[in-house]
Amino acid sequence: MLLVDGLTKRYGSLLALDDVGLRVERGQIVGFLGPNGAGKTTTMRAIMQLITLDRGVVTWDGNPIDHEVRQRFGYMPAERGMYPRMKVRDHLVYYAKLSGYRDAAAARSADEWLERLDLSDRRGDTVQSLSSGNQQRVQLALALLNEPDVLVLDEPFSGLDPIAVEMLGDVLREEVARGTALLLSSHQLDLVADVCSAVVIVDHGRVVLRGDVAELRSASTTRYLDVEFATPTDWAPDGVALTTDDKRRYRAIVDRTTDAGSLIAAAHARGEVVAYSFAPPDLSEVFLSAVGRDKLDVAERNRIDSPPDA
Amino acid sequence: MPDDRNDSMRTTHVVRMIARREIYERLRGKTFTVLTGILVFIILAIGVINRVAGDGGAETILVGATAPIPIGFESAIAQTGALVDRTVAVRPYGDAESARRAVDDGDVDVAIIGSERQMVFSGEIDDDVRTIVQQAWTAAEIRQGLVDAGLSPAQVSTVLSPPGLDAVTVDGDSDNMGLAVLTGTLTAILLFISLQTFGNYVLVGVVEEKSTAVIELLLARVRADQLLAGKVIGIGVVALLQFVLATLAGLVSLAISGTHVPGEIWSTLPVTIVWFLGGYALYSTLFALAGSLVSRQEDAPGAAAPIMTALVGAYLLVFVFGYVPESGASRILSIIPPIAPFLMPMRMAAGAASVAEIVAAMVLLLATTFAVWKLAGKVYEQVLLRRGSRIAWRDALALLRRA
Repeated sequence: MLLVDGLTKRYGSLLALDDVGLRVERGQIVGFLGPNGAGKTTTMRAIMQLITLDRGVVTWDGNPIDHEVRQRFGYMPAERGMYPRMKVRDHLVYYAKLSGYRDAAAARSADEWLERLDLSDRRGDTVQSLSSGNQQRVQLALALLNEPDVLVLDEPFSGLDPIAVEMLGDVLREEVARGTALLLSSHQLDLVADVCSAVVIVDHGRVVLRGDVAELRSASTTRYLDVEFATPTDWAPDGVALTTDDKRRYRAIVDRTTDAGSLIAAAHARGEVVAYSFAPPDLSEVFLSAVGRDKLDVAERNRIDSPPDA
Repeated sequence: MPDDRNDSMRTTHVVRMIARREIYERLRGKTFTVLTGILVFIILAIGVINRVAGDGGAETILVGATAPIPIGFESAIAQTGALVDRTVAVRPYGDAESARRAVDDGDVDVAIIGSERQMVFSGEIDDDVRTIVQQAWTAAEIRQGLVDAGLSPAQVSTVLSPPGLDAVTVDGDSDNMGLAVLTGTLTAILLFISLQTFGNYVLVGVVEEKSTAVIELLLARVRADQLLAGKVIGIGVVALLQFVLATLAGLVSLAISGTHVPGEIWSTLPVTIVWFLGGYALYSTLFALAGSLVSRQEDAPGAAAPIMTALVGAYLLVFVFGYVPESGASRILSIIPPIAPFLMPMRMAAGAASVAEIVAAMVLLLATTFAVWKLAGKVYEQVLLRRGSRIAWRDALALLRRA
């Protein structure tokens, strides 16, 4: 088990980490979520022993993370870094050897990962000639090729198209099925929610929410009721505030105790209903209500929408 | 699966891997090939130019002569010429008029008109030639006189070939001071070029890894001091390759130019290489330290400026204190680590350095290099993730104290 406890790090007047704690079991995927600047990267660097902490401990199976233990970790930094003019396969072989592999084993591992990540036909190309999506795959291969016990991936999905996200998700699930403990971060809270079995959400250096995604969502007191009519229909049930733009799609934010069934039955009485749903809020909305805000302010929204700062 | 080698074996493995990558990168790039090619070309060209445009030092002296000439003059002039590494050929002429014309036409360098006891030059009188001819003439006349006086040929030879004098310096050394100055100066120049070139490779390489963020992934795999050692060793192998190529080109160049290459050069060469490696180790580690203070290539020259100053200063000191290897100042300076690689080889070649001085200089150099290497590793880890502006040397040291 990867255990992070009481991490505290101050940069000048900024408290970057304030008593951050989390745990990842073998075979578990934990999403480490929060807006940019919340402290995710700092925490991950602390796990990889790349920065010194003011306070706090990181252990793997009860042992502190020394150079020896860290050799069994795989890491994908937020800042993608590779030698631009080095060839793809050379990169993989090089890092495999740095991880302690002998020549033949390093070559085997490199070829295996080129195959698994569908990069075999780019093996002889320089890194700088690859698209950013393919560069990201190479970067992921570098994190995976030493069959790590612990995977620490900082924003692995950032900048990927949906197909790549799905493929990457499959590969990660296979690795976790092998018994790897996986911690991955994302500033796009809802994107990774279904990949992760648990999430830890940070904001301004503090953990604000943690737990099972479904439980966190269902624990919310609000529900979204969505109803879609086949044709524009006037609908105004008593005691429910509805919003609509085109009189076809209606949405209501209601309490979780609301009798959804009778509302939908009432809608049926008004016209043909083609779709309806009654669902808890998305993770990002759970997060917002947890930090006591209605919505992300403009600055934060910009931060969230933009890629991680380089 | 990663193997089960112990820590020091793994360190060796990791350092070798990093070094191998550096060697591969440098040799693959055009820069090294082109620069080394130019360097070797220039060195060889100097030899060729010396031969072609030289002062005729290697050319045969042609002497025209008209009778009467003393018996044995030809063999005498060949001997006197050989004393100063010149070959001399004597060409007889029937009369003074044709001999003078031969000088005028440039067919011979000098004409001897036996009947008038004259040496005729075309324009300026060449003192070397004049001395050679004069000595040979005198020797031949003496021989003639001795034969006329009734001595046997064996007696004449004994009289004319007394045991010669050995030329030595006051210290009892043989005549290798010139060689010491020559090789010392050339080595200093080569070392300077090399340290500038390859120190810069190290600097740029370190900054490249920071500016492209490769460093974060690397340091998650290997320790900073392993990374630095691998980088410095790898680039060092390439530097040594260039240094050896340039040195060999230098020897070929000397041979081309016709300069006599003394045998002692083969014993000074290994010494030179040892000092070259020592100098490279110190300066490249310093350059790596400078590189770890910045995260953008454009900031690199500024951070490296103090090291460049030290390098240029140490280099220039050779031209002041290298020529007075026995002086107290020279003794002290040649032990100071940044200066030793430049000054000590010259003092050693001159036979002016004591064993104690050599050992002290080498030990200090290695100890300083080790300290700088450890320091650079620490700074590297500390400032790794501080991107953006350059970190002052002062702040880096303060950072270390806090760590």
